[in-house]
Amino acid sequence: MIEVDHLTKRYGNTVAVDDLTFRVTPGRITGFLGPNGAGKTTTLKAILALIRPTSGATRVLGKHYSELDDPVRKVGAVLETSRYHPGRSGRNHLRVLAAQAGVPRERIEEVLELVAMKGAAKRRVGGYSMGMRQRLGLAAALLGEPELLILDEPANGLDPAGIRWLRDLLRSLAQQGRTILVSSHVLAEVEQIADEVVIIHRGNFVTQSTTAELAARAAAGVRVRSPQAERLRELLSTNGMSVVVMDDGALGVVDGTPERVGELAAANQIVLHELAAEKATLEEAFLELTAGETTE
Amino acid sequence: MRLLHAELLKLRTAPRTAIGLLLAMLGLAVLGSGSTASSADESPFAIEASVSDILDVASLAVIFSLILGILVVTWEYRHGTITSTFLATSRRERVIGTKLVIGVIAGALLAVLSVVASLSVASFWIEIELERGHWELIGRIVLGTAAWAVLGVGVGALLQSQVGAIVASLVWFLVAEPLLGLPLDEVADYLPGAALD
Repeated sequence: MIEVDHLTKRYGNTVAVDDLTFRVTPGRITGFLGPNGAGKTTTLKAILALIRPTSGATRVLGKHYSELDDPVRKVGAVLETSRYHPGRSGRNHLRVLAAQAGVPRERIEEVLELVAMKGAAKRRVGGYSMGMRQRLGLAAALLGEPELLILDEPANGLDPAGIRWLRDLLRSLAQQGRTILVSSHVLAEVEQIADEVVIIHRGNFVTQSTTAELAARAAAGVRVRSPQAERLRELLSTNGMSVVVMDDGALGVVDGTPERVGELAAANQIVLHELAAEKATLEEAFLELTAGETTE
Repeated sequence: MRLLHAELLKLRTAPRTAIGLLLAMLGLAVLGSGSTASSADESPFAIEASVSDILDVASLAVIFSLILGILVVTWEYRHGTITSTFLATSRRERVIGTKLVIGVIAGALLAVLSVVASLSVASFWIEIELERGHWELIGRIVLGTAAWAVLGVGVGALLQSQVGAIVASLVWFLVAEPLLGLPLDEVADYLPGAALD
């Protein structure tokens, strides 16, 4: 469980996070989504007590992070800023972290196995690819077998197979009842990985819903093409649907279903050449939700 | 104890930096004491180089100790590992405290190595007989070197930038302090650079 209550963080005159409130519940993967500079990392840092909020409070597992007795064993975190000394090998990097957290050395081999990095563990981190660094970061977060995982952009630098691997790994961890928060600025990633999404924009809360709900919200569109487009348009409008004309002359019905549009057309003897439910991706939903502000 | 172990591991597992620093210091100690010891017997008027001269050479360990102290803190900022360090230990003063202890240990070790290297090189040319005064001098070198590592840790934690911290402290100790010491004779003894004298 992660609780963020009215979190505000100002840097001088810039408001990085503005009165943000949300909850992350255990047993599922929650995506934390927002364009670059939306305040995601600032929020995560506040949750992890790496910065002091201007106002508001954050709690992990019911306590402020700094009050946790053995934080690494309760919360595993990888931030964008968690990087590595390039001269250390992957295994030595984990040894340092394990020593800091009082985690037994056997666990290092276990997590290396878990992220499929055993073969590269001896090599210097300086020579690792982006994907290998991500895997090592994940291994570091899992060292203490934490109940709660906070991952900042974990899919960055992973290829499609790597993302699928990440999803499967996170899913199995979530099924064990762990709380998982995964930040990203790439919607496609979140769509693939998360069950639920918290969206923020410019430090403000936008929405929190399940991934499926969010996609459905955007999918409520119908594309219809007719030689009697003008008449159809009036008809739909008088029936309370908002209609837009698309580039190719087809009509886009924002809040209708194909059934209703088809029945109305038939009742008024309008010929239809095309009638389809528009499938919107989360991407469109997201752009819609944040559009008004980005064009400023 | 856990933190101390982790900090020692950090030093041991970043071999290039640590070993580079150690080799640079030993190289200088060997060259310095070798030339000091050997130059003496070539000139007919020269007084033979004394053990104290050699120990003077060995005391160059302070600069390396200072840099090591700075590195122990700043490389964590430079490479971003400070994030995971603070995640594991939210009480930051404990992290810095441990680094101070590490600085003392590593600084003292550097001083001992430097003394041993200088004296053994010099022993090819001159006879080394350590008297009581020499042991006192060695003790002061070890203590002074450890103290400079502590200073390094402090400066590093304050400035967080590796290059910035090294440049700032070298400028202070080699330029600013000697200049300040001229007009302010009575306080000069209490400026940090005087720690070794």
